[in-house]
Amino acid sequence: MSALLAVIAPALHGLATQLPSQAPQGGNIVGAQIAIGSLFSLHILIAGLVSGAAELGPAIEFLGYVRQRRSYDRLAHGLGRFITYYFSVSSTIAILLITVLLVGFWGHFWTTIVTIGWWPLFIEAWTFVLQVSLAYLWFYTWDPLRNFKGVHMAIGGLLAIASFLQVFMIDVVASYMLTPTNPQNPVRLALNPTSYPLTVHRTVGNLAYIGFAFGGFCAIRYLRAKTAEDKRFYDWAGSFGLLWGVSMTLLQPVVGYSYAKEIQLHSYGSWYKMMFGSLSPVFLWQITLLGIMFLTATLYFARRLRTDEARGSGILKLLSVALVLTTLLAAQPYALGFSYESVAAAGLNRPFWEGGLINPLGSMIPWKVLALMFYTLIAIAAVVWYLRGLPGVVWGHARRGEQRILILMTVLTMLMMVTMGFIRENSRGPFLISGEMTIQGQQDVQTAQPTPTPQSGP
Amino acid sequence: MVRRLGAAYDWLDERTAIRSLLRKGLYEAVPVRGAWFYTLGSATLVLILLQLITGIFLTLLYVPSVTEAWASLNYLKEHDAFGSIVRGIHMWSAYILLFVIGLHMIRTFFSGSYKRPRELNWVTGVGLFVLVLVMAITGAFLPWDQAAYWTAVVVTNVPAYTPFIGSFIRALWRGADTVGPITLSRSFGIHVWLVPAILFPLIGAHLALLRKHGEFGSYVNYRGAYRTREGVDVPPAPAQRPTEPPYPAAPSDELWAAPLQTEDFYPHQTFKDGIISAALVIVVFILAVAIGAPLEAIADPATTSYTPVPEWFFLPLDELLVLVPQQLIPLVLVLPTGGVLLLLALPFIDRGPERNPFERPAVMVPGAFAVLFVVILTLLGSGRLFNL
Amino acid sequence: MAHRDPRRLSRRQFGILGTQVSGAVVAVLLGIPIIGFLISPLFRQQQVVWRKVGDIADVPDGEPTKFEVAFPLDAWTTAESNLAVYVVKSGASTRIFSNVCTHMQCPVRWDGALHQFLCPCHGGLYDINGTNVGGPPPKPLPQYVHRIDGTTLFVQNRFTEEI
Repeated sequence: MSALLAVIAPALHGLATQLPSQAPQGGNIVGAQIAIGSLFSLHILIAGLVSGAAELGPAIEFLGYVRQRRSYDRLAHGLGRFITYYFSVSSTIAILLITVLLVGFWGHFWTTIVTIGWWPLFIEAWTFVLQVSLAYLWFYTWDPLRNFKGVHMAIGGLLAIASFLQVFMIDVVASYMLTPTNPQNPVRLALNPTSYPLTVHRTVGNLAYIGFAFGGFCAIRYLRAKTAEDKRFYDWAGSFGLLWGVSMTLLQPVVGYSYAKEIQLHSYGSWYKMMFGSLSPVFLWQITLLGIMFLTATLYFARRLRTDEARGSGILKLLSVALVLTTLLAAQPYALGFSYESVAAAGLNRPFWEGGLINPLGSMIPWKVLALMFYTLIAIAAVVWYLRGLPGVVWGHARRGEQRILILMTVLTMLMMVTMGFIRENSRGPFLISGEMTIQGQQDVQTAQPTPTPQSGP
Repeated sequence: MVRRLGAAYDWLDERTAIRSLLRKGLYEAVPVRGAWFYTLGSATLVLILLQLITGIFLTLLYVPSVTEAWASLNYLKEHDAFGSIVRGIHMWSAYILLFVIGLHMIRTFFSGSYKRPRELNWVTGVGLFVLVLVMAITGAFLPWDQAAYWTAVVVTNVPAYTPFIGSFIRALWRGADTVGPITLSRSFGIHVWLVPAILFPLIGAHLALLRKHGEFGSYVNYRGAYRTREGVDVPPAPAQRPTEPPYPAAPSDELWAAPLQTEDFYPHQTFKDGIISAALVIVVFILAVAIGAPLEAIADPATTSYTPVPEWFFLPLDELLVLVPQQLIPLVLVLPTGGVLLLLALPFIDRGPERNPFERPAVMVPGAFAVLFVVILTLLGSGRLFNL
Repeated sequence: MAHRDPRRLSRRQFGILGTQVSGAVVAVLLGIPIIGFLISPLFRQQQVVWRKVGDIADVPDGEPTKFEVAFPLDAWTTAESNLAVYVVKSGASTRIFSNVCTHMQCPVRWDGALHQFLCPCHGGLYDINGTNVGGPPPKPLPQYVHRIDGTTLFVQNRFTEEI
């Protein structure tokens, strides 16, 4: 014991002399943005899964009860286990962010936003209490309440509601940063112009994300499965996850377009930056990635049916070709340069056959809008044809190729979420709160009012 | 005393056959499980009747003239508290009717109640849905306040995007190129006479067909739901009771022809129908008294400060009008028209005998998406309007 | 029946034919006026009149100014209703705009902050020359047929181009 102490004590002493006397503040803006940005991305990648699982799990349990299928119950149980394991990971990152990084780097901003949005954050804190208690209750009473499914499903339902409420509350704060409205009126604050579309977008997105994620997870499990029953389950669950993910994702073009419309109407600078300015190449990448995601999913559908010689594989291949063409249309750049802004600044905003750098086929109106509509319709057709072919599929027969596609889907989804987060946060620049607080302004206030250091001695 | 009443009833029965009529009407069989969902149809009927009655009494005061429409309703608002409640009931009942008819349609869609032999029941139902929508639209024009006037302008302008005949359709409805006195008169005539003259016989046909084939109900009431499937914990099928009218005595399609267990329409289903309908009427009444029917300023075509806001049931279409770029505006026509045509054709597209919605995803999944899109568009539209 | 001439109608056939013909006669006699009445608006021209707007000498350059002009309502009504007229002077030209949006005919208004005409219904935008620059409107802001006598503006309740 004393030997242990002999080792630890000098190390601790060494650390103590090296720790700064106060939390990191101000100074390096880029460093702050990178640190906070990457941590937030990591947080959302895990929190999105937890929220999605808390909403989808109870729904799957209910579906399983109605359809009298044991596999749904097992899947929901697995999602419940996931929540209990990973809830604390995502919360820890969040706590780290808000107590250390945000207070340290963006102290003035954080104080302002907590003062304005204190009650959404207050409600959100309590939804966390609810979520944690209900999640653990839901998971650990699974077997004891097996004969009282109604009660168990009610607990799951409450968990889903708590999870939705939590997402809604944080979205109120996040959307306020983009479209600040009258903060005195709680209803106007909660339903500010971008809070509605952001909440719908994120709820649908979380549900899609968890679907793709456990699709990939079940793919890995399938490849490692030993028993025939496990193989059957993981094959089916992977397919179910992908189906669910695609079904939710195909709602997103309408929601996303509506969200962009609200941003155009209420925060024009941010909208311009995304569509025509410095973020437009990333936005172009996003719409292309969406097409790649739908394409990958349709390829899975086609392959899985083909594996069991089930009907519909041919039509799905045709739909894949349609998706390739649609993605090519969506991927057309409007400005054959860095962005429209840079092309216009160089005086070259003419069609390329007139010596300019504009590609009319890349314009949002109507070409990309058409492409988005086609994404949605083709995805619905793919889902329908896959479901029609499913009676001919024997679970447990999937080949390795299908599982690789599922894992790829999970990676693509994470890439999409990080891309969207990047666009979202940078579109608002140089503001932290649109029209009200810039990053530099925040820094100036912070440096002018440094945190007092503790006085030593009596 | 009782004997004399009995004798009077016998006298009546000999002349009107009332006993067999009542027996047929009241004691027909309905499926046992899921009965609360089947109350939506009777709730729709009750709300339509409410509309008919309050509407008739409103015509005792309302004048369909561009100069007097607003004035007559304003007079009602200022000087007639009970009349205002009648008008309030008329408006709120309309809003709730549209919601309930939507739920009824969704219920019959997912339960597969449109399959053989009930296809015409569904087709008449879609016809009723469209007619009720027409009633709601034409009714919205009548007050001739700002809301009504601009609703008339925008709604009559939507068909103008039909290729070739668009401006003719618009001119027919408006009675001219612009919204004016003839628009109001036409809409009033359509609302009060033309559409009800088609609506009520169609309701009669819809109910007659329902009586002919019986309420289908839900797949869980039939032997088809208890077939063994791998990985499924199928409960044992309840013992089949002998079939009651209107279900066929000798079923040709054993799995879905007749429910396993039925009960009498009266009093079991009528009790549930009564509770739901009464609850809805109470809600309508409370809303009519607490909020009432608004009457905005009189119509002013020269306004540059008024923001027209659509009726709630138009929100999905309005949000589409915001999102759809100018080159694709005809889509805003194609989607609802195509939707109605698909609905009409539904029983002829989905012809298989399977009634379990989970076993027929090819039709249920697009239907579910359509409902989801309508809900999402409504949410986004209301958010946009709230933040205008 | 024996000795029946095949060209002659039987009693039954005569009855059927008679029923059909009388039904057709009633339908046609009723239908023609009703259908004609229903589609009569397609063949009627709306009343077009000139109305004086007023003196537009004081309208500032580059600043759309709204006037309200009373025009007779259609058909039998003697009542009149106002139409909004935007007078826009830019340099030498004077344009007379209506406030009817070419998307769904909602009332357009001039927004000083945006320096554009804005349609509140679906976010349509027109610049000061009436060109549709944003949102769903497919055509420029409609202009009224007008004439200017000196500095007095007269306007007809008719657009220069159909929308």
